[in-house]
Amino acid sequence: MIELNRRSVLRGAVGWAAAGTIASPFIAHAQAKTATVLWVQGFVKEEDEAFKNLVAAYEKASGNKIQASIIPFGPAMQKIVAGLTSGDTPDVMFHDIADQAVVPQNTWNDKLIDVSDVVETQKDHFHPTALLASKYYNNVTKQRGYTYVPLKAAVLPIHVWGSMVEKAGFKLSDAPKNWDAFWDFFKPMQKKLREKQRGVYVHGLQPTTNGPADGNNTFHHFLIANGGNGIVTPDGQPHLDDPQVKEAVIKALTYISTSYKEGYVPPGALSWSDADDNNAFHAKQIVMDLDGTISTEVAMYHEKEKYNDVVTMKLPNDNAGQPMKAELGIAGAFIAKTAKNVPVAKDFLKYAIQPEVVNTYLKTGLGRWLPPMPEVVKKDPFWLKEDPHRTAYTTEALIDPTVPNYPCFNPGYAEVNAQQVWGIAVADIVKEGMTAQAAADKALKRIGTVLAKYPVAKA
Amino acid sequence: MTTQTLDAGQPLVRRRPLRLTWRGGLQGSEYAWAIAFTLPYIGLFLAFVAYPVAFGAWLGHEPSLYAELAEDPIYQRTIVNTILYVGIAVNLKMFGALLLSGFFMRPGWWVKALLLVFVLPWAMPALPAFISIHWMLNGQWGLLNNFLWNVFGFDGPGWLDTSRWLALGWVILSHIWKWMPFWTVILLAGRMAIPQDLYEAAEVDGATGLTRFTHVTFPLLANLYLVCTLLSTIFTLGDFNSVYFVSGGGPALSTHVLATLGIRDAFEVARPDLGVAAVLSSLPLMIPLVLILMRKLRTTEVTL
Amino acid sequence: MSVAVADARIATVSPASAERGRQARRVRRWKSVGAAGIAVLLLIWTLVPIYNIVMVALESKGDVFTNTIWPDAPSLDSFWIVITQGYWYLEHFWEQFGNSLYIGVGTVFFTLAIGSLASFAIGRMRIRYGWLLSNAALLTYVIPASFLAIPFYRIMQIYGLTDNLWSVIAAEVTFATPYAIFIFHQYGVSIPIELDEAARIDGASPGQVYWKIYLPLMAPALVAVGTYALLLAWNEYLYQFLLLSSKESMSVPVALAQFFNSDEAPWNYMMATAIVYSIPPVAIYYTFRRRMAAGLTMGGVKG
Repeated sequence: MIELNRRSVLRGAVGWAAAGTIASPFIAHAQAKTATVLWVQGFVKEEDEAFKNLVAAYEKASGNKIQASIIPFGPAMQKIVAGLTSGDTPDVMFHDIADQAVVPQNTWNDKLIDVSDVVETQKDHFHPTALLASKYYNNVTKQRGYTYVPLKAAVLPIHVWGSMVEKAGFKLSDAPKNWDAFWDFFKPMQKKLREKQRGVYVHGLQPTTNGPADGNNTFHHFLIANGGNGIVTPDGQPHLDDPQVKEAVIKALTYISTSYKEGYVPPGALSWSDADDNNAFHAKQIVMDLDGTISTEVAMYHEKEKYNDVVTMKLPNDNAGQPMKAELGIAGAFIAKTAKNVPVAKDFLKYAIQPEVVNTYLKTGLGRWLPPMPEVVKKDPFWLKEDPHRTAYTTEALIDPTVPNYPCFNPGYAEVNAQQVWGIAVADIVKEGMTAQAAADKALKRIGTVLAKYPVAKA
Repeated sequence: MTTQTLDAGQPLVRRRPLRLTWRGGLQGSEYAWAIAFTLPYIGLFLAFVAYPVAFGAWLGHEPSLYAELAEDPIYQRTIVNTILYVGIAVNLKMFGALLLSGFFMRPGWWVKALLLVFVLPWAMPALPAFISIHWMLNGQWGLLNNFLWNVFGFDGPGWLDTSRWLALGWVILSHIWKWMPFWTVILLAGRMAIPQDLYEAAEVDGATGLTRFTHVTFPLLANLYLVCTLLSTIFTLGDFNSVYFVSGGGPALSTHVLATLGIRDAFEVARPDLGVAAVLSSLPLMIPLVLILMRKLRTTEVTL
Repeated sequence: MSVAVADARIATVSPASAERGRQARRVRRWKSVGAAGIAVLLLIWTLVPIYNIVMVALESKGDVFTNTIWPDAPSLDSFWIVITQGYWYLEHFWEQFGNSLYIGVGTVFFTLAIGSLASFAIGRMRIRYGWLLSNAALLTYVIPASFLAIPFYRIMQIYGLTDNLWSVIAAEVTFATPYAIFIFHQYGVSIPIELDEAARIDGASPGQVYWKIYLPLMAPALVAVGTYALLLAWNEYLYQFLLLSSKESMSVPVALAQFFNSDEAPWNYMMATAIVYSIPPVAIYYTFRRRMAAGLTMGGVKG
């Protein structure tokens, strides 16, 4: 453990040194040298350390000053929302779920600055999905443009307690390759495990409405696995009447609600917060969990026995047997039109997205988030070779096919997510006794109403 | 006989002397003093009440926002929840407080000791208390189900995620748990202010037990009780913590009340205007309450 | 004769009174059984959620999610972690505790100052538009705090007070002052007005009357309102959460809510923090309980 730490510290130092030399061409000596930055707090201490290092390195290399406030996830979102509405904003704002919750609507309302000059500097390095997720539609100019600078990427891998699967008398290597079958594979384990432990469940499914993120993410993966990815297309058009989409919605709702009704999902999952599934998993109350980032594993980083007991798996194929497209979440930064020091803000971001800098930054944060740049992870053994959890996670995110979150295509979908339409649809089935068909119709109708407020012009 | 005089309530009312304190009104430098004395409050009121209220009204002035709310199924549920929550919680809480204030009038050291314990929920910070209740009710590992399992050998449901009504019920109970002590103390203070000789006089007239309550105590407490109930209604309408931390609005956003939905719309849905509109939509309920309360307080001088 | 009459009276009365006595005793016994029953129920009702807090605080991290109703190995480790700031989220705990204290003291001071000044002007100096002021106060009193939260947040941005303890103090004072004005006004009625007049004839300025006569006589009400304001500031969450965001400026309730941010939730630490945080208000309430009751009782029921 100590060894690992020392090694990572050393690696970090080397990385920063390298980054510093590459960075110098970008440094602009703007007159006002200070920019204010709002950054979201990490889930582990190391992430905040990594950010402080990043700021220090930038200040040293550029001579500019960064006034950073690191703010927890929830309050950070509130500050950003309130700041954008009232016009009092820091120069740079960064949030883990800005691609789903802030940037789409605010680009739509023409409140963000075009950052194409920042993104362009690394355009060749960014993953295509990351690039897709940095372009948003502006309803004033009626055009799509870069308003979001990708810095970190994440997907939802599957986390499994290896020992629990074994205890139930199964082998993970026997797990089927297709989506529904893969999930079904765990069902018989429940009876076996219940013989020894009260209240154990196999499926960490999260049909929750408490969000902000997990409930929607879970559903979208089932939707994609059933071929419903076309619900909103990259041109921003919804396809809610498309029979294929509708069928996928019904199938996805059916699988989740049936598993819930059959008792494979903890009943509390309906109102889980984003942390509750991790808690249930850590307490070994669920055998497996589909959940964003490898925070589940990283939280146990210092308890090696448990850490090694968890198997991190990339997603199985979809139900048609094709490689599954995972939703690639992009955490990034953006600049409001009300920012006071745009040159330094942009300069800081240009510095931060250099491949070496991103790599060092995210490695110091224990690899919970990935660089949105395939080359970087292929070059550095840290991502694909050194740790089985990271290997599976990185492969799913940057090697296998991915799609961006739907709000990138249509800002109305951010509101759909916030309204937790899918969680409510599952609840309609399991609580109100609706048929999957009726719940799907209701949800799609609701989505139609919301998206109607955001007509994206066809290019 | 006695009760008749009591009903009129005359002997208990002390009319405030009507003459002016500073006879002949304020003069010269006293105006300056008066202004200096009231200025801090006027400033506070303008800066932190008038301005935000006006600002809020301006934020939520768009009629389309209300149309948007009206067609939102979550909002419709929220209205029903708010009415149920306020109606049930306030009445149960106030009636309980009325009865308990009578109980705490009993003599004996242990009653006094009990009162000390009983007010703990009020003195405790709200956040950890409600979070504790939230955990206690967790279906998988909460104290309540663990207790049922260990003692009776069966598992209870997930108390907060099985049904809307169950969850709302627990929210109401939690609110009562937290706030009943406060109102009990207020009503207890009211009861203690009733002169003992009234009871003695009533006893001479043969009033005991229930008759004593209906003919002596209640007529005297009625006004205080009414004012407390009105106030508590307004406070409960704005109660954010109970719902937010106990049920979190779940299951499936079915137990939100206006106070929590407003915050949710503003910051989770990232629509501050919609959030303000949700909150403002309770004004039709609020304004009459405030007017009644103003009249009551002006005419009868009840202290809390 | 007279003796006989007396005897007769005793004779006729005594069986009935004995019967009545027995009945009364029976009633009394049932009443005390009933009272004891109510007492037990009340104790359970009040203490169960508090018991849960203590239990979680005494558990070790993994035990929180198990099926016990008492920790297998209760330990005070969590408290030690809190006191020594031994966990990531708690690394600023004492600073945050200090912030809470700062907010509490600031709220108490300004509530008492602004409230007593205004009520002196309204109630003692009887200024002409005093009724307007007390109605305005009433208006604030009845606006639920959470309803003002959203505009308030943005107003604070305009005032440049975001992430500043003073914004929270302003909010708490706003909601505590109307209550203060009421109590002071009511309590003030019981102080003879002649005292003011006498002082004034002796040439005292209104400021001197306020400082030397009004305030000392108002002491019980000041204590009652002060305790109330402190509890309000200590209990309040929404405004503190909205207005404070950096680790250094957070108050303890906001820091507690941080535990919900992460995927890792050491809830035993959270509850231990909550217990430490609960101590001051509970202690202060118990210290000033009697005076507080006195302050509240003044006026009590009228009409």
